[in-house]
Amino acid sequence: MTLISDLLEQLLHGLTLGAMYAMVAAGLALMLGVARLINFAHGEFFMLGAYAFWLGYSELGLPYPIAALLAPAVMVIFGIVYQHTVIRAILPRSWHVQLIATLATSIVLTNLAIIVLGTQPKEVPTTLSARILEVGGFRIAWQRLLVLVAALVIFWGLDRFVARTRTGRAMRAMSQNREACAVVGVDVQRVTLVTFALSAGLAAVAATLVSPLFNIFPDMGTVLTLKAFAAVVAGGFGYVNGAIAASFLIGITEALAGSYISYAYKDAIAFVIMIAVLLWRPQGLFGRRIGI
Amino acid sequence: MRRAAIGALAAVVVSAPWLVAALVPRQQRYVLHVLIFTALFAALALSYDLVVGHVGSLSLAHPAFFGVGAYTAALLATRAGWPFLGALIGAALAAGVVAALVGVPLFRLTEHAFAVGTLGLALVASVVANNWVEVTRGPLCITEIPKPVLGVPGGPALAITTLPGHYWLALGALAAVVLLYRGLTTFRLGRAFHAVRDNEPLAGAAGIDPLKYRLLAFTIAATVAGGVGALYVHYLSVMCPEEMTVALTVNLLVIVFLGGVGSLRGVLVGAVLFTALPEVLRLAPTWRLVIYGTLLLLVVVRSPEGLESLLRRAAR
Amino acid sequence: MALLEVHGLVKHFIGVTAVDGVDLAVERGELVSLIGPNGSGKTTLFNCVTGYLAADAGRVLFRGRDVTNAAPHRVARLGVARTFQQVSVFPRLSALENLLVFLQQHQEERLLSRLLRTRRLRRLEAEAVERAHRLLELVGLSGKADAGAGTLSYGQRKLLAFAAALMPDPELLLLDEPAAAVNPTMINQMKEHILRLHGQGKTVVLVEHNMDVVMDISQRVVVLDHGQKIAEGSPQTIRRDARVIEAYFGR
Repeated sequence: MTLISDLLEQLLHGLTLGAMYAMVAAGLALMLGVARLINFAHGEFFMLGAYAFWLGYSELGLPYPIAALLAPAVMVIFGIVYQHTVIRAILPRSWHVQLIATLATSIVLTNLAIIVLGTQPKEVPTTLSARILEVGGFRIAWQRLLVLVAALVIFWGLDRFVARTRTGRAMRAMSQNREACAVVGVDVQRVTLVTFALSAGLAAVAATLVSPLFNIFPDMGTVLTLKAFAAVVAGGFGYVNGAIAASFLIGITEALAGSYISYAYKDAIAFVIMIAVLLWRPQGLFGRRIGI
Repeated sequence: MRRAAIGALAAVVVSAPWLVAALVPRQQRYVLHVLIFTALFAALALSYDLVVGHVGSLSLAHPAFFGVGAYTAALLATRAGWPFLGALIGAALAAGVVAALVGVPLFRLTEHAFAVGTLGLALVASVVANNWVEVTRGPLCITEIPKPVLGVPGGPALAITTLPGHYWLALGALAAVVLLYRGLTTFRLGRAFHAVRDNEPLAGAAGIDPLKYRLLAFTIAATVAGGVGALYVHYLSVMCPEEMTVALTVNLLVIVFLGGVGSLRGVLVGAVLFTALPEVLRLAPTWRLVIYGTLLLLVVVRSPEGLESLLRRAAR
Repeated sequence: MALLEVHGLVKHFIGVTAVDGVDLAVERGELVSLIGPNGSGKTTLFNCVTGYLAADAGRVLFRGRDVTNAAPHRVARLGVARTFQQVSVFPRLSALENLLVFLQQHQEERLLSRLLRTRRLRRLEAEAVERAHRLLELVGLSGKADAGAGTLSYGQRKLLAFAAALMPDPELLLLDEPAAAVNPTMINQMKEHILRLHGQGKTVVLVEHNMDVVMDISQRVVVLDHGQKIAEGSPQTIRRDARVIEAYFGR
């Protein structure tokens, strides 16, 4: 009985992990698909969002919902600043320039965080992360359920947004044919900005949801970026649903492998999966789709 | 006139230990240490430039090959008792073999996936180095790597025990790498690499197999990186997982992109600037990375070809 | 056995079939033009034949050898040369070096001898340089031998690309719109060069929109429309063919 409940627990942990990866990877895939931007500093949105949440909840003592909304709000503002300074300059350039520039940004942000906030991990336990739900022998923190539910709501919302709104349609159009979009009067700049804000917001929301469960430290963005890229590449470069699917695959495998095989190597799992997928299908799980 | 200038520079570089002893006797050890590091880093940067600058593949896996070489040499020297030259060759070969093996599937990917794949490889190598404690001793590091002894078993041997000795060894390695770099990047082979870099479809139409040449550059570069790794561990006597993190990639990117991608002189200047300077300024690693990152960002956005092209433009 | 044979070639893209079951045979020494309205599949056909696109069905045979879906460099090494619609050179190499690159595959040397420049290597290199100079002279670019290819004008780059294609002395030349976007003087130059190649016994296939050029120099004209071959014959026959006229003007 305990074996089954253990397995279920790990599966749920994996789903939570996958949901987190999925929110981060979706943002990355959006920027890739819509704006053709490689953003290696994406993980830092998550990291800074987590610290913003910690600041609001632990240091300033704000109630959970306020702090949870504060972090994404701060990150969206930060994202806009980042967009106007760095992104706008590198958007028309080759992806080599984008990769190196955003990698450099990532290093700067990470090390500034080390200097300002120190390397000691921060903890932000909330009431929901402390309270455990017990169902028939297996236990899960309420916070994890919150992550899952929130992720589902967010993905549903994202889907509706892309499918129904004018901006969403513009995003889809841009991911298929950017040149044509400018010609037919789509405000490419504005749509790019919205996509970027969405992308940053998604990462920050993921950070807020997940911060109570894990430690917060300056390096956390780096590994997350890499795993998100692994998901994006494995899912079919720029295809959002592919990235989400791959993220869940990575999350579940990581949780199961980490628990049953080896905890130490779990960080490498994401890449093993990506490499395995690419060896089998070099174009990713879902191939080079047109559109997001 | 240029020949004379190069000759003079070479003389200065070779006689550096005596110059240092004469000019800054109290700081000798420290200055020589910086010079040795600079020479090794320059060799590593040149090998990296082969891939990034001459064949145009944005590989982020160099720390992995450096690490493979370093750990292989460390293990061969400590666990298997191999002499220095054997460990060096073993290290270089190990790195080269790994590169050839991962290169085949990697180069079948699109450029972006390739970059991410190499980054993933670097991460996996880092994780393995940290966690495969039975072999690498993880964070405890491999220690007591013996000083290098040049020579064949049973024949005359030259032990490198002094700092100047290490310096000349590093310098010799750098000279060898420079010769290799020049041989690979000029004439027919260089033209083939550059053709693949600048216009891959046209290179195909010219009968050049892009995969073959990218893999060749990648493997040779990895072999050199592995060799530098071996020299590195024999100098420091210690090898820790921290030596092969993404920070090393950033260091190399800075040297290559700020120095001048695809240019021998540019990369050498970049290596001297960005290895010696932070030491001279006594920057903490975090601040050094912040400054590097910002510089890299600025330069890459303004002038992707690096200082070299900026200088060329200024000279006109 | 024809020099180049294409059997039932099909190429789909998302939403459109660019090449829809094309059969083509080019005999040794022929001068064939491939014409058709925009989007009829001419360049796609070229790309499939030379390995830049994977065909979805059909076969391509060169000298009787199956080269369907072979990689571009393999096709090139077998003796097929091509130029590109968007003029393609190596911008950072000099004009001379651009030509030297095209002679790579015929002079494969071992890595070691490449690194240590043996005497044989130097002789081969000298021969290559001489040949390159002769070709540059042929297209009137002698003075630009050391100029960076990126600094040349559009017309000069076009001539350079043409000369480069000739470097490995190919049996079959596939020229994609050699007369496009250049002034009448250059068009005449191109016509002369192509006719001379034909006179030397080379096999040439052109994709062209310029009807004057097509009618003037072609032995045979093949017409594509919507990915299918709709007509084939001498220039005079094609000029009067109702289907061809409709394809071009009946829209």
